[in-house]
Amino acid sequence: MATLVAFACGSSSGPAGSKGTIKIGSDLPVCTVGGQAVQNGIQFAVNQKNAAGGVNGYTIAFQGFDDCRQGSYNADAGVENVQRMLGDSKFLGMIGPYNSAVAKAEIPIAAPQHFVMISPSNTNPCLTKDLPTCSYHPQDLRAGNANNYWRVVTTDDYQGPAMADYIYKQLTITNVAILDDSTVFGVGIAGAFETEFKKLGGTVAKHSEYKKDQQGSDFKSILLSFKNAGAKAVYVGGTDDQNICIPRAQMKQLGWDVPFTGGDGIETTDCIDQATGNEAGIYATSAGADATQVPGAAQTIADFRKAFPGPNDFGGYTMQGYDATNALMAAIGRAINAANGGTPTRDQVRSEMAKTKGFVGVIGTYDFDEKGDTSLKIVSIYIVNGKLSADQVKNSTGVCGSKTAKDACFVWKTQFDFAKLSS
Amino acid sequence: MATSVSALTRIRSARLAGMSFTDYGFYVLCGTAIVLLATQAVIDPRTFFQVLDFGIADGAIYALVALGYTMVYGIIELINFAHGDIFTLSAVIGSAILGFFAVNESSFSLADLLTLLLVFPVVMLIIGGINVTIERVAYRPLRNAPRLAPLITAIGMSFTVEGVMYLWHGSAIIHFPDLLPHGAGFQTYIGGVFFTFKDVFVIVAAVILVSLLAVFINGSKLGKAMRATAQDRDAAQLMGIDINRTISATFFIGAVLAAAGGIIYGLYFNNLDYHLGFSVGLIAFTAAVFGGIGNIPGAALGGLLIGLVKAFSDNYIGSRWTHIIVFSILIAVLVFRPTGLLGMRVPEK
Repeated sequence: MATLVAFACGSSSGPAGSKGTIKIGSDLPVCTVGGQAVQNGIQFAVNQKNAAGGVNGYTIAFQGFDDCRQGSYNADAGVENVQRMLGDSKFLGMIGPYNSAVAKAEIPIAAPQHFVMISPSNTNPCLTKDLPTCSYHPQDLRAGNANNYWRVVTTDDYQGPAMADYIYKQLTITNVAILDDSTVFGVGIAGAFETEFKKLGGTVAKHSEYKKDQQGSDFKSILLSFKNAGAKAVYVGGTDDQNICIPRAQMKQLGWDVPFTGGDGIETTDCIDQATGNEAGIYATSAGADATQVPGAAQTIADFRKAFPGPNDFGGYTMQGYDATNALMAAIGRAINAANGGTPTRDQVRSEMAKTKGFVGVIGTYDFDEKGDTSLKIVSIYIVNGKLSADQVKNSTGVCGSKTAKDACFVWKTQFDFAKLSS
Repeated sequence: MATSVSALTRIRSARLAGMSFTDYGFYVLCGTAIVLLATQAVIDPRTFFQVLDFGIADGAIYALVALGYTMVYGIIELINFAHGDIFTLSAVIGSAILGFFAVNESSFSLADLLTLLLVFPVVMLIIGGINVTIERVAYRPLRNAPRLAPLITAIGMSFTVEGVMYLWHGSAIIHFPDLLPHGAGFQTYIGGVFFTFKDVFVIVAAVILVSLLAVFINGSKLGKAMRATAQDRDAAQLMGIDINRTISATFFIGAVLAAAGGIIYGLYFNNLDYHLGFSVGLIAFTAAVFGGIGNIPGAALGGLLIGLVKAFSDNYIGSRWTHIIVFSILIAVLVFRPTGLLGMRVPEK
């Protein structure tokens, strides 16, 4: 297996590039901790592959692009990056983007050029599935071209139900209140949660919503109405950039200590920071398997940590980035064979990527369906634990706080495998 | 027949049981609201008083911001749209200063307390200076221009201040250190209502600041000059009052209150972003109109009431209705009582 190959750090030349160079790119918000951690995983996979002789005689050259503008992801910046990759014929595919909103802007640019995109972290279902709740449709993004987009994580429509199941069965709480941030993502994930929770037999005491611009930072009266309605937990549908974790801080002002739960929009450093002193007891789902929970992944993670020893180098989606890169390089290898050993076209790589079957990755063994979704439908549950030791923080697979509580991190609890549950 | 009298004038001049029709409508509205709230207070007093506590704490912050709007309007009849952003900027600067001195939230020391106490005057001075500069650059050259012109520059200054904060921090949430005493020793139940030190701190700080302002306006020479300038600028000038200096002082004091409000907001909520001034400013402006624009006690009362309305609406009616209710109140006040609760105080023309 690949993990047996000794990783030679810093080796610049080798027997690899006898036939030339093939470029792969990435488009990630590198200014963020999460984006940089994914880029590390890609770099690691490419270094490993080159050290082992490259892909069918070609050296893989990796170039990372940054889609940050003013400190956070930006769809326009992402589109510019994709256009730069499309302008260089040596680029045969890319890893990314990190954010669903960026993917929505990039797929229409890349699809006509048959340019392979593999996202390590996009969870919005509408990128691949035509659901009634979607405000845009996968077929429109691709505009009649063959699918060029894949992702190695599962989608939000599994996240809400996973948390509903966890609260009802594992925490044995039957009465919850829901708060959503009125965004497409927030309303969608909160709705999926509510439907499943009621189906299980639970009660939704109250469902409130807010708009960031109107609400400011004040959620105390909303929370009080939840408490008085008899809720024993809060589920939030939303993201940290909409202040969704500020209510957690204000639960202190009410003296109300119940679980605060949500989707991957709150499995973030910013969420822990917003909770200011009330971090412990935040539960979040993540659309994907925790890399530490997959048998055989431990060795790769240990090798990675040796090569990238920094405390923030390894993040929740690093191994997803690593897998996506290996899936792409495997498709490039098959495309080289299809081109009789010569440099393949982008369409040949795209067509080989679509044929991926039984890919053995670090986060599991999986296929992709014709829409680009993975057969691996795992949702992980994390909880914030405070007062962790320095070593625990360093080795955490979940993100940690950066302001009030630097020693509070998301710690993996359990996972749901929807592929097994449905079959 | 006297058909030239407009319908509105006729309604306003109509009388019912000795009161004008509009007054009557106003009292009916207020009465209904009070009866509805009193019913809730009887049904579930704990919830009622808890929401009251939240509402007063939030209202205190709105009051501090509303005072800046009303003082500036009272003296030069300008709605200073940049005021909400000045408020946000003070919280951002306060956060930066505390960050610079590396104040440690987990083990709060005496040195940290001194830093916190120092942050108030330092930020007040900086923000006061910025607001005076804004007045000097954007409003004073237009003082005798048509009234729309300074209004447009005020909107421009609002975007400028927001832009500076955006370039500084981006759209990310800005963390304000959680320095107020909190935890088990600083919270208690009184009659089933949960009080925290934070709530009490906000209310007490606002009361002290508003009292100081009242003493200053009514007792000091500069306060007297401000009142005189607000009443009749030309006559005040003839009496030897330096108009420019007085107006600058008004902007300075308005900014000092906003700065205090900004830091108190930061200490209370611990999270802010560059766009915060838009929503807080809009609500505070509504509060100033509610209390009677130009009227200083009116702004304080209006801020308090709007805070209560928001809290009661969030809890009893639903957060999606809150903004609709707040602005319906604004419309109702403008229709039934155009001068606000305590009456407008603007220069006689």
